[in-house]
Amino acid sequence: MLKNYQTGSFFDEMMDPSGNPKPHYDSFYQLIRQISNDDLRDKHETAQLSFLRQGITFTVYNDAGGTERTMPFDFVPIIITDEQWRKIERGMRQRMEALNRFLDDIYHEQEIVKDGIIPEELITDNPYYYKKQVSGLEIPLRNHIFLAGIDLIRDEHGEYRVLEDNLRNPSGMSYVFQNRYVMRQVYPELFFQHSIRTLEHQFKDLHGALLSHAPANRSAQPCAVLLTPGMYNSAYYDHVFLAQQMGIQLVEGRDLIVKDDIVYMKTIRGLKQVDIIYRRIDDEFLDPEAFRPDSTLGVNGLLRAYRKGNVAILNGIGNGVADDKAMYAYVPDMIRYYLDEEPIIKNVETYFLRDPEQLDYVLDHLEELVVKNVGASGGYDMLIGPHSTEEERSVFRRKIIETPSQYIAQPTIKLSRAPAYQKGEFYPCHVDLRVFVMNGKDSHVLPGGLSRVALKKGSLVVNSSQGGGGKDTWVLAEGGMNHA
Amino acid sequence: MLSRVADSLYWMARNIERSENNARILSTQLIHMLESSDQSVMDRDWEEILEICASKEEYYERYARLNRDTVIQYITLSPANVNSLQNSIVYARENAKATRDHIPDELWQLINRFYLDKNSQQDLPMTPQATQTHLKDTIYMSMTSQGIIESTMTRGIPYTFIKIGKWIERAEKTARILNVICEKTIREKSCTDTENYYYWLTALQIVNGYDSYIKENPPTMNPKDVLTFLIENHNFPRSIRYCVDHILQAVHNLESGKISHYSEDLFQLLAGIQEDMGRTDIASMSVEELMAFLDNFQDNCHKVSRIFSETYYLVEPVHASH
Repeated sequence: MLKNYQTGSFFDEMMDPSGNPKPHYDSFYQLIRQISNDDLRDKHETAQLSFLRQGITFTVYNDAGGTERTMPFDFVPIIITDEQWRKIERGMRQRMEALNRFLDDIYHEQEIVKDGIIPEELITDNPYYYKKQVSGLEIPLRNHIFLAGIDLIRDEHGEYRVLEDNLRNPSGMSYVFQNRYVMRQVYPELFFQHSIRTLEHQFKDLHGALLSHAPANRSAQPCAVLLTPGMYNSAYYDHVFLAQQMGIQLVEGRDLIVKDDIVYMKTIRGLKQVDIIYRRIDDEFLDPEAFRPDSTLGVNGLLRAYRKGNVAILNGIGNGVADDKAMYAYVPDMIRYYLDEEPIIKNVETYFLRDPEQLDYVLDHLEELVVKNVGASGGYDMLIGPHSTEEERSVFRRKIIETPSQYIAQPTIKLSRAPAYQKGEFYPCHVDLRVFVMNGKDSHVLPGGLSRVALKKGSLVVNSSQGGGGKDTWVLAEGGMNHA
Repeated sequence: MLSRVADSLYWMARNIERSENNARILSTQLIHMLESSDQSVMDRDWEEILEICASKEEYYERYARLNRDTVIQYITLSPANVNSLQNSIVYARENAKATRDHIPDELWQLINRFYLDKNSQQDLPMTPQATQTHLKDTIYMSMTSQGIIESTMTRGIPYTFIKIGKWIERAEKTARILNVICEKTIREKSCTDTENYYYWLTALQIVNGYDSYIKENPPTMNPKDVLTFLIENHNFPRSIRYCVDHILQAVHNLESGKISHYSEDLFQLLAGIQEDMGRTDIASMSVEELMAFLDNFQDNCHKVSRIFSETYYLVEPVHASH
C-alpha cells in the first residue's frame, strides 16, 4: 500500500527513509494493510460526506458570494509519543506564561521596553496596540490569554518549532473533536491496539477556565456567553460547537445591550446581566464607540463596562501586540526575561528587515527564504522563495524596500511530511500542528491538537482557505502501545 | 432564552410547516387536474393554488399567463416567490443554523441534508414524476422533523416556541384554504352536487384530513359537516379549534399559568378567539357569514403573531441575505 512511498529528503512522521514504519506507527501500519483499497476509497467518501451533512463547513467568500466548504479530512493520523507530547506540553505552558506576563507588562509598566529587550517602536507602531483603550486595567486573574492556538512545525531533523502564536481568536478547536468523532465512526478498526489520550473531559477544563474569570464583584453564579459575528462568519461552526459544549449562550452583538456600564442580553423575559464574554469578534469591531465606528457586529459601551470591571472579556483586548510576526521573534527573549529559562520549544530563525544588515542579506537571498507580512495571516501576502518566480520575487523586493518593517523573513524550513490518502493513493504531504492551550485559574493543553495538511502535492500552505485539510492527532497514552 | 433564538425557532417551525402545507396542496391539485380538460377550469384551479400557496397578484406581476410549468416552478423552486418551497427550506435552514445549539442535532442534520440533496437536484428536468417526488420528499421531511422534535426535545421553552410557530402557521393556512373554497362556492352558486362534492373533498385532502373525516362522517361531503370538522373539531390536529386550543395551552405553560402584565394582551387575544369559536355555530351560518368569520380569524392570526412577537421581544427573522 505504501510500497512506492518516498520520504525524500524530508522528515516523515510515519515512515523511515528505507520504507519501514517508525516504531510508534507500526501497529497503525499493520492495521491499514488489512483494509482493501476499495474499502479505503468508500470510507474516504463517507468521511467527507459526514462533514458536509453535519454542516461542519467554513464559508469562502469570492466574487460570486459565499460558498460553504468542508475542510478535507485525511484519515492517516499524526501519532505523537507520550515523551514528545510531554515536552510540547511543557513548552506551551512556558510560552503562555511568558506571553501573558508580557501582555500584562506592556499594558502597565513596560519594564521589558525600559530594560531594552524589546524596541519601543515595535509596540507603538503595532496597529493592535490599544494603549488608550486598555492600558492600566486590572483584569480578572491578570490573564489576557484564555484560549491560544500555537502553531508548531517539525524541521528536517524532526525537532518541533513554534511557527506562530495565535492569541486573539484562534479557530479550529471544533475540528479537533469532529476529526476524532468522524475517525471513530468511519475507521473504528484503526483504534485497535492503540491507547490514546481521550478528548472527552476537555470541556470541563475549558468551562472551568472560562468561569474562573468572573469579575470580583459578582458573587452569584456568573453568566458567561460566547459572542459570535454570526452565521456568515467563516468560523461559525467553531462558535456553535464551543458554546454548545460549554453550555453557554451563543450571542450576537445585537443580542447585547449596555446600560449604566453593565452588559445585558436580551431574553424573552427581558434583560439578563452578563458577566463573562468569550468573544470571537476582533478587537476593532467590538464596540463602535471605542474602536471602529462602522462596526455593525459590536456592542455600544462594551469597553466602558469592561473598564469599570463589570464584565470580563476573553481573550483580552489588545492581545494583537504580542502575536504578530514581528513580535514572534522576541518570544524567546521574553521567556528568558520573565521566567529566566531557556525556551523548551524553539522558534524558527527570523530576520528583521528593519535592520539594514539583515535587510541586505534577505534581499540577496530571496530565492532561499520565506518572506511574510507581519500583519497578514492565513498564508496571504507571503513569498516562498524556492517556489517563486523571478517576477514574484521582484514584486516582493519592491514591497520590502518600500516598507521593510512590514516584513520578516525566515529560512525555508523543510516542513515535515506525513502520508495522506487522497484519490486512491498515499503520497507525502507537509503538515503542521495547532496546539490549543486553555488558561484560567489553571492552565491545560488540549492533548494533540489540529494537524493541518497541505493536500496539494508539493504545497507548503496548510491553511484551510487555501486547500489545506485536517487530520486526527493521537497522543499515545503513557506506556505507549498495547501490543495485544 | 435569547429573544433572537426564540424568534428563529418560531420561524424555523413556521417555514417547515409552510413547506409541508404548500407541497401537499400542489401535490393534491396536480393529481386532481389530471382529470380535467377544460382550460378555464384549469386556470381557475391554478389561481386558487396561487392564492393559497403564494399570492396571485405577485404572480401576475411577473407572468402574463397561467402556464402549468411556470406555476409549478413558481411554487416549488422560484427564488422570486418568498413562499416557494425552496425559500421556505432556505429560511428553515438558516433559522436552524442560527439555533444549532438549541435544537437536536438530528433535526439540523435532517434539514441540512434535505437542503443539500435538493440543491444538487436543482438542474434536473422537472418531469411530472420528479415534481411529485419532490413534493412527497418535502412532506416527509416536515413529518420527520416533527418526529425528531417530539421524540427528543425537552418540553421546555425552545420546544414551546417551535410548537407555537407550527400551530399558528397551520391554523392560518387552514383558514385560508377554507376561505378560497367558500369563495368558489359563492361564485358558482349554481354548481351541481358533483362539483360541490369535489370542492369539499379537495379541502379535506389538502389539509390531509380526508381519512380522519370519513371515519366520523358519511362520505356525502356535506359542506356544513366538512366545515364543522375543519374549524371546530377538538381532536383533528389541523382544525382551527385544535390549533387555537394548543397555542393557548402552550402560552399558559410558558407563563406557568400566571397572567403577567406583559403577557396580558396575548392571553386576552387568544382567550377571545377561543370564546368566539365556542359561541359560533358553523352549521347555522350562511356562506357569507362563514367568509366573514374566516376573514376575521385570519386577521386574528396575524394579530396573534404580532402580539406574540411583542410579548417576547422577538426580532426580525433571519433571512438569507448575502
